[in-house]
Amino acid sequence: MNLSKKKKKMKKIKIALLLALLLSFSCASSDYWKLKIEVPERAVLNLDQFSEIVITNFLIKEERKDFDLNQELVDYFSFEIGQKFKGKISSKKISFEKEEPFKNEDFWKNLLPDLKEAIFITGSAQYTEEIRKAILEKKRARFEEPFVSERALAERRFYTLNLNLYIIDAKTGKALYERDFKESKGYENPKQRAPFAFFDLIQRVKSKFLRNILGETRIQERYLISD
Amino acid sequence: MHKKLIIYFLFIALLALSFSGCTRQLLDNQLLFGIQAAQKDLWEEAIFRWKKVVLSNPKSAAAHNNLAVAYEKKGLWEEAKKEYETALELSPGNSHIKANYQNFKKNHESFKKEKKDEKN
Repeated sequence: MNLSKKKKKMKKIKIALLLALLLSFSCASSDYWKLKIEVPERAVLNLDQFSEIVITNFLIKEERKDFDLNQELVDYFSFEIGQKFKGKISSKKISFEKEEPFKNEDFWKNLLPDLKEAIFITGSAQYTEEIRKAILEKKRARFEEPFVSERALAERRFYTLNLNLYIIDAKTGKALYERDFKESKGYENPKQRAPFAFFDLIQRVKSKFLRNILGETRIQERYLISD
Repeated sequence: MHKKLIIYFLFIALLALSFSGCTRQLLDNQLLFGIQAAQKDLWEEAIFRWKKVVLSNPKSAAAHNNLAVAYEKKGLWEEAKKEYETALELSPGNSHIKANYQNFKKNHESFKKEKKDEKN
């Protein structure tokens, strides 16, 4: 009898200890919250200080018959920058023969002297394609005999876009931004057309260039903590 | 008898621990309120709450860390850097603060690299 009383008492104490332990864990534990947030990137250039962007035609180093590179670039940048820039966007035709004017401050200062708080987006571009051939191992389906490799001559059509971009202050003629982009991509489809490949390549330039000048956002993880 | 005493002592110690934890959590209410606001994308509210915590307890590494995240979200880089550094000074071993600061620094370094590329 005495033994059973003792056992009951011990059981009660055990339950009380367990409760206290649970209570201590529930209140004294340290917590964190993982959050996905849109972190704005630092823009190299603050476009908000300008009221107008003038996109000029580009110096095309090698003209193509099947593709108007100059028009495509002007249209693309006008549209993409127009999505984010609140001011006016216009275009201007300039006849470039060499790269020399890009660094000539007087040239840009006198181009549109009435313009105030404006910038020019200009530069040179080259869009080339080539066919590369190589002997590659052919992929086999699983049900076929393993350990037998088959080599075959494969062709890839490569497109390369070289773009030298300048952002020039209309007031001072100084280059505020200058960067060379070289983007290249190979396609298994030998009939891949230039306009489609151009879109792939200019998208890559866009992600770098617009991030530089517009300071776009990136989704990143951060921890908020309470202890 | 000796065994009983130990058990009672343990029980009281555990209770004291739990109460201290709860009291601290009550003090951290502002901090949690700020976190809830941030989760709802109300970052101004969150900053207000965490600033209050920092005012009453300048040694709260959590408040400094959370403020840094909020400043980063708002693009206030210098303020964010200062808060991360304070948080790390107060709690150098905290892995969450360290992870946040490393990601922040990575962004900062890629910005500097892009500036350098642009010059070249």
